[in-house]
Amino acid sequence: MAEWLSLALAVGSGFLGMAWLALSLNVHWQQVRARALPPVKTLRALAAVALSVSLLLCLWADHPSIAVLVWVMAISGSALSVAMLLAWRPRWLKPVVVWAC
Amino acid sequence: MLQTFRQSMAWLHTWFGLVLGFVLMAVFFFGSLSVFDREIDRWALPETRFEPQPMPSYDNLLADIFAGMEAEEEELEAARKRIGGELPAQLQPTGWGAYTTHRDPVLDVFAEYSVPNPKDPFDHAHGHLTLDPRIGAILPHDSLKIGSEFFYPLHYSLHIEWKQLGTWIVGVAALIMLVALVSGVIIHRRLFRELFTFRPGKRTQRSSLDLHNLTGVVALPFHFIFALSGLTIFAFLYLPVGETVLTTPVQAHLMEEAVSRGLPFEPAGEAAAIASVDAMMVEAKKRWAERGMPGEVGFLWVTHPGDRNSFVSIFRAGSDRVAFVGQGVHFDAVSGRVLYEEPPPTVIAGINEFLTGLHLQHFEHWPLRWLYLLGGLLGCTCIATGFIFFTEKRKRNLNDATLVRWVDALAVTAVTGMLVATGAILVANRLLPAELPHRSGWEQTVFWMAWLLTLAHALWRGRAVSGCLSPAWREQCWAIALLAVTAVALNWITTGDHLLKTVLTDRYWPVAGFDLALLASAAIALRTAFMLRTRERAAARIEHKELLAMEVARG
Repeated sequence: MAEWLSLALAVGSGFLGMAWLALSLNVHWQQVRARALPPVKTLRALAAVALSVSLLLCLWADHPSIAVLVWVMAISGSALSVAMLLAWRPRWLKPVVVWAC
Repeated sequence: MLQTFRQSMAWLHTWFGLVLGFVLMAVFFFGSLSVFDREIDRWALPETRFEPQPMPSYDNLLADIFAGMEAEEEELEAARKRIGGELPAQLQPTGWGAYTTHRDPVLDVFAEYSVPNPKDPFDHAHGHLTLDPRIGAILPHDSLKIGSEFFYPLHYSLHIEWKQLGTWIVGVAALIMLVALVSGVIIHRRLFRELFTFRPGKRTQRSSLDLHNLTGVVALPFHFIFALSGLTIFAFLYLPVGETVLTTPVQAHLMEEAVSRGLPFEPAGEAAAIASVDAMMVEAKKRWAERGMPGEVGFLWVTHPGDRNSFVSIFRAGSDRVAFVGQGVHFDAVSGRVLYEEPPPTVIAGINEFLTGLHLQHFEHWPLRWLYLLGGLLGCTCIATGFIFFTEKRKRNLNDATLVRWVDALAVTAVTGMLVATGAILVANRLLPAELPHRSGWEQTVFWMAWLLTLAHALWRGRAVSGCLSPAWREQCWAIALLAVTAVALNWITTGDHLLKTVLTDRYWPVAGFDLALLASAAIALRTAFMLRTRERAAARIEHKELLAMEVARG
């Protein structure tokens, strides 16, 4: 059970990381927020932290050889979900940058 | 033309990608299905729908099975050709083995037999069986495991067995895949800036390129490592130095290695009875537990069975890590004492095991299995959108009309046609009578015939209309939906395993999961067909208006 929870958190954290990374780009920031320019440095720092946390959670759940694969694939899946949300439902990403109204 | 480096890379990416893309499409799709090969086997062989089993007793069950085995007729035929003469009536077995994973209800057992007077010292003939390890019943030879015996080999050999040509074609395709990835990254102008960009509202040419870039880049590590590890798995075939130019030193090395481990390299030629292998399995498990890695037996191999020099090798199933078996313990078959316990692998061996293991994925990790399916399907999307971009870009140029028509027809065949063929083999599996001779051959014939039909259909219905796909795409989507739903219905009718039963009352995920995947595919195919129809109608209206305007202008 603890492993599943840890994996779910790893995926969630990976998704947050990729979402912040995407929103650090002008064009995507403007899809989600009215204000013109994104706080690039803050968003990328947050992304780096979230992606690292995701890796640590993967390592905690599985043997390192498997954990690395899970992490890489979870990041790919997250990037795809973020891209699809930005294409069809960009406003759904608002909550991840709730502080920057 | 081709003045800059980037232009030459674009040329390379376009044309090599196009030609080998048709092969790669099949490799990626059937590779993706192979992630769930054991589950597809359960769907296709209803008599094997029971829980996975551990390695059975050797002493009470496997010993008799192995003793009754023989090399297969086609193997013997091939061996006769290789040595250019007759074989003795009874061949001497050189090895017996059994392999199982955490997903196998049935057990695969295999035997190797020595070929007298061989030209190649490694020459031997094979026999294999599949059995129900609970009772020792042997599955009929003619039952096709569609997942592990048809889709899985299709993805690396295309079932072209002549001189292993199919495996060579796939190898070239994998190499070109690596080239396409590198050249693709070079020609992509805004790799990071457009990493998350997909604009479905734009013209087909633009949105298909978006999707091509997106699916290629987000899963780049997956695409790269799978193409690479696929090549390393078949390195023995692509670069067979050990079996061609270096036969003598390799043989000497193997002998030296065996001697250093205390494992007899040659049989003694004297018969001797085998000790209890079950006791050896218990001992091996005890040793793994002492090393802090308790586990189950994954692979069992008896070398020189029945001989005084016989030994038994027992390997741990790699369910909890990437390398699929390991920690081998070798026993003297006659006395039952341990001859050699393998140390942890060296760095190079470890990397090789990692690359092979991550590709063959015999580990127990369901989330990763699903992520692999996602990676594989992203690869398919990348290739398919590549085809669509290629044709869309050239549709306006009338000089390219024939090329566009052919590429479009081949793309339809490679994408939707492949799915139609897949649906067809599943329907055939449920419809063909059980007692039909060569049933497994018929199932495969249906698959290839259906695929050929989709090519004919694509050529017949192909039409180049800028901005919308040819009607062949839409019509084959209808066929996919119909076949997928029919397969699920037939599974219910012929076995009684409907989804309410397999999900709720008598849960059996392998079959339930595959039925659900078929229904999901049908839903996606239907939605795609409707969307394509809407676009075709809109395009037809525009075309009609343009014609009217032209006529009005002419007066």
